Amino acid sequence: MNVGQQIINGLVLGHSFALVAIGWTVLLGVARLVNFAHGQMYMLGAFVTWAAIAEFGLPYALAIPFTMLVGIAVGFLMQRVMLQLTLKQDLVSIMIVTLGFGHVLHGVAALVFGSTGQILDTPFSTRNVYWNDLWFTWQDVAIVVVTILVFVALKLVLDRTRLGRLARMVAEDPQLALLAGIDVRKVYFGVFAFQGAAVALAGAMIGPRTPILTSMGFDEVIMTFVVVVLGGIGSVWGSYIAGISLGLFTAFFGALVSPAYTTPAAFLVLIAVLVLRPGGLAAKPGGGH
Amino acid sequence: MSARVLEIADLTVRYGGNRVLAVDGLSLGAGEVVGVVGANGAGKSTLVNATLGWSRGKPVVSGRVLLDGKDVSALPTPRRVAEGLLLIPEGKLIFGTMTVEENLAEGATDPGPDRRAYSAEDVYSLFPRLKERGGHLGSQLSGGERQMLGIGRALRLAPKALLLDEPSIGLAPKLVSTVLHTVRELCRDGLSVLLVEQNVKAAIAVVDRMILLERGRIVLEGTAGEMRDNPRIAEAYLGTQQA
Repeated sequence: MNVGQQIINGLVLGHSFALVAIGWTVLLGVARLVNFAHGQMYMLGAFVTWAAIAEFGLPYALAIPFTMLVGIAVGFLMQRVMLQLTLKQDLVSIMIVTLGFGHVLHGVAALVFGSTGQILDTPFSTRNVYWNDLWFTWQDVAIVVVTILVFVALKLVLDRTRLGRLARMVAEDPQLALLAGIDVRKVYFGVFAFQGAAVALAGAMIGPRTPILTSMGFDEVIMTFVVVVLGGIGSVWGSYIAGISLGLFTAFFGALVSPAYTTPAAFLVLIAVLVLRPGGLAAKPGGGH
Repeated sequence: MSARVLEIADLTVRYGGNRVLAVDGLSLGAGEVVGVVGANGAGKSTLVNATLGWSRGKPVVSGRVLLDGKDVSALPTPRRVAEGLLLIPEGKLIFGTMTVEENLAEGATDPGPDRRAYSAEDVYSLFPRLKERGGHLGSQLSGGERQMLGIGRALRLAPKALLLDEPSIGLAPKLVSTVLHTVRELCRDGLSVLLVEQNVKAAIAVVDRMILLERGRIVLEGTAGEMRDNPRIAEAYLGTQQA
């Protein structure tokens, strides 16, 4: 086994997991909501990027913001449809509605883009870097850099801006936030828009690593769920650490045992962590993050 | 009486078909402190929550609430807050995961000339203890400090009328007196306060008028002096017997 190569694979995979998960982390942390259409939104991000480049001829640098705008629109639409359920924090109905929404997205994507796989080529994905016996692409580097930038920017916004402060107020107690004059509905819309944009960005960045399929959303939602829960629900740095940890674990497990069993193994890790540290990896003794 | 800042008319609250509050009329003048007293379950908190259109439950509320003559009954809670109607609820009244400074960071955006917008420094002048605790999390504060911060947070939003729900709960008697007398001082600047209190002895020392709620209805109303002398209040709430 080439340990150095597995570390690189694990780090790239881990940053990919973290980037896919960040939208859901904020959604859970601020609005205490789940979105089981998250994986399909990721899939849609990859396909919209592909269409923007292959069909509309946009350069990759413009295809990314275009995809993010589509992601925002999808997030906004979902929140509009579920507004009453969101305000009532009716989690069971929201789970069912978002699962249904995911199936609808899958069906629409299959109808529009076809059920065969596509290759999303970018200027970075086709350029390889070889160093001794190690290999990676510039797309891998871009994924790591963009993920770090997104996490740092999000942390700064949450900690140091008025927008972040309002989001934290709603996250702690939406009812008390109403008494502080905060329009909680607007904050929820903002959170859904962020989730849509972030997961679309993830699709645009990570899609080029593998052939993209309209069925790939279901696997993504499972791994995202593991990252979000492992990190400690709603914790930004927790999600980052969980993503990297899960990426390294998956890479080494795949190399040492078999890639076929990585999902069950990831869930075993999740169960073990939750038994030993119920608040997730980022939990503090007081229970916060 | 001074100009009416807050008027409540035909306010009813129902939970699952059961009427728990029915207040025909209640008003609050400029710079006036009106106390609301009554036993547990009398509807005191329900009254102030319904006035803001706010609840942690799912009540059905009807009736009219006028703020400075403007009907705010149809407005959602944040809009009523923006108009200058503020509630400091019982129990959780600050954001525990945020520092004192962050709790005080959100101020009124455009309060207009007739409302005093308190700055964070104004709040610190009023409660110097909060300045010392500026970097501490809300969850690290004592009960008295939380109450001060809750009031300070509301003052930052430039209230016309402040609804204060059970500020004495869990506080030492000296702190209760400090908090209530500070509230009284604020009214000299024109602030109007509806003060819900179980501690009638402490409340009666600072209010102008007082109402007694029983089973969701106003059964007694009068000035502080009249209520102090009322045998029913004296016996049931002040623990004294009238001659």
